[in-house]
Amino acid sequence: MTRKLSLLCPVALLCLLTGPALPAHAAAVDVQVTDAAGKPLPGAAVFLESKEARAASKPLAGVDVVQANRQFQPVVSVVTVGTPVSFPNRDTVRHHVYSFSPVKKFEIKLYVGTPTAPVVFDAPGIAALGCNIHDTMAAWVVVVDTPYNGLSGADGKLGLPAVPAGSYRLRAWHPGLPPGAPALDQALQVPASGNLPVVVKITGVAP
Amino acid sequence: MPPARARLPPRWPAWLQAWRFPALRLSARIVLVSLALLLLVQTAGYVVIGQSIQRNAHAQLGAHMALAERVWQRLLDQRAAKLHQGAAVLAADYGMREAVGTGDLETVRSALHNHGARIGASLAALLGTDLAAKAVGEGADPQLAPALVRLAPQLSQRPGSGVVALVANRPYQFVMVPMRAPALIGWVVMGFPLDQALVDDMHAVSGVHVALVAQPMRGAPLVLVHSFKPPVDTAPLAAHLADGDLQLGGQPHMVATAPVATGSDGRITLRLAGSVEAAVAPFRSLQWMLAIITLLGVALFGAGSLWTARRVTRPLRRLVRAADRLGRGDYDEPVAQDSRSDEIGDLARAFDHMRINVGTQRQQIRQLAYRDRLTGLPNRLQFRDEVQQAIAHADAAGGHIAVVMLDLDRFKHVNDVLGYASGDKLLERVAERLQEVVRDGDLVARLGGDEFALLMRDADVDLAAVVAQRITTAFEQPLLLDDHMVDLSAGLGIAVWPAHATDADALLSRAEVAMYAAKRRTAGAQVYDPAVDTASALNLSLLSELRRAVELGELRLYLQPKIAIRDGSVCGAEALVRWQHPTRGLVPPMQFIPFAEQTGFIRQLTLWMFEQAAAEQVALALLGVRRVSVNLSTRDLLDMELPEKLDAILRRHRALAEGFCLEITESAIMDDPQRAEATLNRLAERGYKLSIDDFGTGYSSLAYLKKLPVNELKIDKSFVMAMEKDAGDAKIVRSTIDLAHNLGLTVVAEGVENEAVLSLLHELQCDEGQGYHMPVAEFCDWVARWQARAPAQPGLAVELRVGAPLLH
Repeated sequence: MTRKLSLLCPVALLCLLTGPALPAHAAAVDVQVTDAAGKPLPGAAVFLESKEARAASKPLAGVDVVQANRQFQPVVSVVTVGTPVSFPNRDTVRHHVYSFSPVKKFEIKLYVGTPTAPVVFDAPGIAALGCNIHDTMAAWVVVVDTPYNGLSGADGKLGLPAVPAGSYRLRAWHPGLPPGAPALDQALQVPASGNLPVVVKITGVAP
Repeated sequence: MPPARARLPPRWPAWLQAWRFPALRLSARIVLVSLALLLLVQTAGYVVIGQSIQRNAHAQLGAHMALAERVWQRLLDQRAAKLHQGAAVLAADYGMREAVGTGDLETVRSALHNHGARIGASLAALLGTDLAAKAVGEGADPQLAPALVRLAPQLSQRPGSGVVALVANRPYQFVMVPMRAPALIGWVVMGFPLDQALVDDMHAVSGVHVALVAQPMRGAPLVLVHSFKPPVDTAPLAAHLADGDLQLGGQPHMVATAPVATGSDGRITLRLAGSVEAAVAPFRSLQWMLAIITLLGVALFGAGSLWTARRVTRPLRRLVRAADRLGRGDYDEPVAQDSRSDEIGDLARAFDHMRINVGTQRQQIRQLAYRDRLTGLPNRLQFRDEVQQAIAHADAAGGHIAVVMLDLDRFKHVNDVLGYASGDKLLERVAERLQEVVRDGDLVARLGGDEFALLMRDADVDLAAVVAQRITTAFEQPLLLDDHMVDLSAGLGIAVWPAHATDADALLSRAEVAMYAAKRRTAGAQVYDPAVDTASALNLSLLSELRRAVELGELRLYLQPKIAIRDGSVCGAEALVRWQHPTRGLVPPMQFIPFAEQTGFIRQLTLWMFEQAAAEQVALALLGVRRVSVNLSTRDLLDMELPEKLDAILRRHRALAEGFCLEITESAIMDDPQRAEATLNRLAERGYKLSIDDFGTGYSSLAYLKKLPVNELKIDKSFVMAMEKDAGDAKIVRSTIDLAHNLGLTVVAEGVENEAVLSLLHELQCDEGQGYHMPVAEFCDWVARWQARAPAQPGLAVELRVGAPLLH
């Protein structure tokens, strides 16, 4: 299976743009994520990596992955390196959250409510989370070291405003990708100004 | 022909005749046929049922095997489920997942071994998400791991359901389940050998024996494992892969095949073998029951048909015995019969009726055979028996027996004149009269015709003579028959035992001889005289010799010339017979002619002479002999067919009746005048000249003679020869000649032997003279010479004397 990131630069569209004024040397990147059939793909993690961006990355605060109705919420979380994530249990039953992923191995044994200590994800990578009691519960924490990240919305769109101009690696990942598959990786040149529309097509996504 | 063959009709071929030995009694045949038919029917039923059982058993076995095949599939599925469960438990184990997640392969291998051992798997392994073997449970067959790699893609397509594969010529069942944490992190594979326990289980559940047969890519098919206990030679299961009947352990089995697995190493098939014997077993008892019923049936049938056959044959045997008794002439014992109302009873009754009727008829036949119907007296047969018994009795007691035999005189006249009814009455009256005069205890019998006999027990000749005299006296009284007075007379012959004869037949014969002697002498009673009998014995032998004489040509025809006295020419001749006996020489006619007349043989002699004369007729006519005379006897005249017999001879020799003169004696005519007259008339019609011979010796009346168609009278030679010396005789001759001429008859004088007689006859105007006789050839010469000399009359007598001796 080929995984290909298609980057389109429709110049004609750029000429017609009449957006608000942007800070100097920065542009807005509008990402449209689709599946192989071209349909909008929601819930995909998209982030832009570069040396500068890694330097600008700072841990987030107050990130929760909630267990409610025997489901993780949200299913996919994108956090920066060093971000502590709490796993509040809003169900009446106990959960046993674990991760055997190399990026972050942990387990929070049977608990109710919010565990006292959040889990700090201190290395970039993708951690698959499960519940030892409920096999159907699954969640992913995508740990990135760039501030320019986000999840595609219901329409498969993600807007990244004020991305400084420069060379980036545009990465994209979706939980439907085969287990262990890395995030897509494609170079992206961000101009000094304006809007950069980018369409990311992720193939090989399981429904 | 040997008796065994004779017993069988010829339509049986030889081999069957041999088979049919020995001739079976009817009862045995009935029993055998019944049993054979029963056995045939039973055998047919047995065969049909047997085939039906086989068919049913096969159908049942087929259904059973189809079921067994589904059981097998279910067993495999169950094992797969068990394996799957075990694998799933392992895959979901947190510790296991943690060990996998943290890459602790040491722990993973021990966990795989531990879990595998728990469910009895011979293989437990962990595959990566790329289906490469990451860890294999401790203690697993090293050959299994490479096989896993080959099977993994197939297994990953069908997670949860098992796959059977041949690994190192051993059958295994594999399952593979995914391990998630929560995303897929690997696969847990478990493998199970399809082993003895499985096939035993299969056999226990289905009742069908099974065997797993491997067909490797290389090498011959082989049986991997089977459920036969005790083990049998299962090689045929691998050798013959087609479905159908197969001998296993010496017993027929029905074999079906189900595919189990097909892989790169080869194929595995399941062979199901159902024992036909076992399937048929429930029916065996049925067949046994049938056989027992057949045996019982045979016994009952045999007994029943034997009883029936006996019921038929026993009375038949009784009837056979009764028939034997009837055959022996025992009609008195009734045919044993019971009150049966069937055909056998009818037969017995019919048989008894037959016995009674045949007995009655036999009695009647005896009556007819031994009694005279007219008089009711015993007949000749009965009389002879009585005489025999009397002789036997007298022989023992030392007594005498006398037999008196009597024959009525002139009975024929009574019959002719008064009719047969009167004749019968006469006989009845005679019988009565005889019974009146005999002693008590003497037996009177009618021997036939007018012949009666009397048996006197304890009587000698004198006593018999007394009784005979009484009979004669009794007969002297005339009998009144339908207003006619009839004089009775009889010839009586007496013979006594043992003086005259030694047995009954001889005694009767002697009495008869004596009776005939009495009749000849017209003396009332005559006691047997042996002298008379010698003649009769001589006569008997004479008769047979006479017969032979005719056959052998010992008789000779002699002719006696007849000369016309008027001119001296030979005008005719009389035919006479002489017997040239080979030993006795020339036998004189007196010695056999009367005897021939008595026995009736005279008729043959007459015909013989007539035939000889007819043969010579032409030759004689050439010599001028125009007519030959032949004598007819009484017997000839009474023979109504005589004219026809003569006609036949004439035809044979082309002779003419006119060339014959038939001479009849007076007494011959007078014996039965009516019949004689009829015969004479018929002869005259044919043109024969008729002549009365020996005229003057009998008692015939001229009036009667006139009625007859007679042309000639012959004067007896006794008168002619004596007339020379006796004037009385001369007068008789003269008056006879005149009388004859007056009646229009010609006259022939016999015994003309000299010239004087001849000239005397010439004077008396006699027409013809007759003298010597001679053989035919001699006669012809003589006639020729005589005619040549004619009419030199004086020489006639001299010449005549030259011939043979006188005839009469």
